[in-house]
Amino acid sequence: MIAVQLFVNGLIAGSIYALVASGFSLIYATNRFVHFAHGTTVTVGAYMLFTFFSLLGLNFFIAAFCTVVSTGLLGLLMFLLIYRPLKQRKSSNAILLVASIGLMIFLENLMLLLFGADVKTLAYIPVRKGIELWGAIITPLQIVIIATALLLLCFVWIFTKYTKLGKAMRAVADNEELAEIMGLNARAVQAKSFVLGSGIAGLASVLVVLEQNIEPVMGTGLIIKGFTGAIIGGISSLPGAVLGSYLLGIVENFGIWWLPSGYKDAIAFVLLFLFLLVRPSGILGISKGIKE
Amino acid sequence: MIEGYIIHLLILIGVYIVLAVGLNLSIGFTGLLNLGHIAFFGIGAYTSAILQLAGVPFIISFFLAGVVASLFGLLLVVGTRNLKGDYFALATLGFSFVVYSVFLNWTQVTRGPLGIPGIPKPELFGLRIADNFSYLLFVTITVFFVVMFVWKLATSRYGKLLEAVRDDEIALRLLGKNTFKLKAQSMMVSAFCAGIAGSLFAHYITYIDPSSFFLSEIILVVTIVMIGGLASIRGSIFATVLILLIPEALRFVALPSSMIGPTRQIIYAVLLLCVLLLRPRGLFGKVDLE
Repeated sequence: MIAVQLFVNGLIAGSIYALVASGFSLIYATNRFVHFAHGTTVTVGAYMLFTFFSLLGLNFFIAAFCTVVSTGLLGLLMFLLIYRPLKQRKSSNAILLVASIGLMIFLENLMLLLFGADVKTLAYIPVRKGIELWGAIITPLQIVIIATALLLLCFVWIFTKYTKLGKAMRAVADNEELAEIMGLNARAVQAKSFVLGSGIAGLASVLVVLEQNIEPVMGTGLIIKGFTGAIIGGISSLPGAVLGSYLLGIVENFGIWWLPSGYKDAIAFVLLFLFLLVRPSGILGISKGIKE
Repeated sequence: MIEGYIIHLLILIGVYIVLAVGLNLSIGFTGLLNLGHIAFFGIGAYTSAILQLAGVPFIISFFLAGVVASLFGLLLVVGTRNLKGDYFALATLGFSFVVYSVFLNWTQVTRGPLGIPGIPKPELFGLRIADNFSYLLFVTITVFFVVMFVWKLATSRYGKLLEAVRDDEIALRLLGKNTFKLKAQSMMVSAFCAGIAGSLFAHYITYIDPSSFFLSEIILVVTIVMIGGLASIRGSIFATVLILLIPEALRFVALPSSMIGPTRQIIYAVLLLCVLLLRPRGLFGKVDLE
């Protein structure tokens, strides 16, 4: 029965990764560079929720809403202050990547300064005894996480598929110059996808915080997973990123069957490595994988 | 007291000069955005510490630290040979994470998070380098040789080839040069520097644990290279001194010790972002990173 339990654990982890990956992938698709600080957006979101809910004592749902709004704003700020000037100077993707790592270190340490290194918990939903499902133990909270994540992912998918902004995003993702010729303001679309992607990161942080502790370094692990999930599935495709994330969650949890659990993060990177080497365009095969 | 402090700073600056000049060879001269440098630093430190504790003479473990690191450099280049630009950077970053988690989890060899204490001070030809002043002398000599070597290499015809890899790889291939071999060699020399810098670091601090070889340290070295300027050895040396001295000012401000670490990281990150935004060539750089 241990296999079922590992599978369920994989699903839970995968749901969180999928939320991180889908925001990341939205940003990547229109902007075409690796926004590594995306994981730290989740960290900032978690501390925002902690501030709104535990320190200011707001209603949980209002606090969650404020969190999503503030992470969206954070995404916009990062785009306007750092990425847009760099893009305007036609900096290479590698430079943008270095800038995003700089941003990540900056935000992570800012949280460390503001909130201290000790672990915070939200304790909104008390820990309840898990229910047994085909031999695996799963808590009601974890079912909520999986369901919410799936619902959100469907919502994002419908959004990019059918709304006007979603279509504009896909157009810019497909061919930025052509989209501009057709009268779309590519910069504005890129900024909007930053807001949207970071907002999704905010939602991810709400779900993460329900189950895990809040730490300044939590974002690094999350972006590694989200990013790996996105690469595995096909980085600029939303369904691909989601698929890859679930796959990663499951592989990782089965991996620690044989390996010490400390290697969990390394499993993600080994998988990432393999995919970069063998199939950089991911499972769903978006051929724009290798770009200079 | 104050002399001890200055000697300590100078030793660290020396170690980081070796590290930064090495990184500049791969990032600046050859144009490989290598974020795995800190892993080579760590590999060097662990190799040297473990060998020395097993009774291998210092001079041999010192060189082996460089050799093992450069072998891993070769491995990394071979593994990533099809990747370019940000994908290459990410793969090398991934390499750093994997090496970090091996340090953390391979407890039989590295003792995991406990780290390796009691690394002996080096002994050279029967001469024990026990006090910090003679260690500074030893570091200075190493720095001198490394800087001279990289400088000679960079200004030679071979160095021009490396710069050509950075500027126009396809054209160089058309001229019949094996660009992969050039990249591999540059990476190996770069990793060698990082490896011996790791050895210098380990034997000076006499204690290593995985946390010295993590992400924040990559940012430190990359910041040094970017601020100093790509393909400028003078720049890297100057920037190392600058970057390591700036946070020392924090010691004289009444900050609680728990805040010094994060503040230092914030300073580095802000400096890096400023350099990227305002002066992408750095202080003495000759080229922009493409």
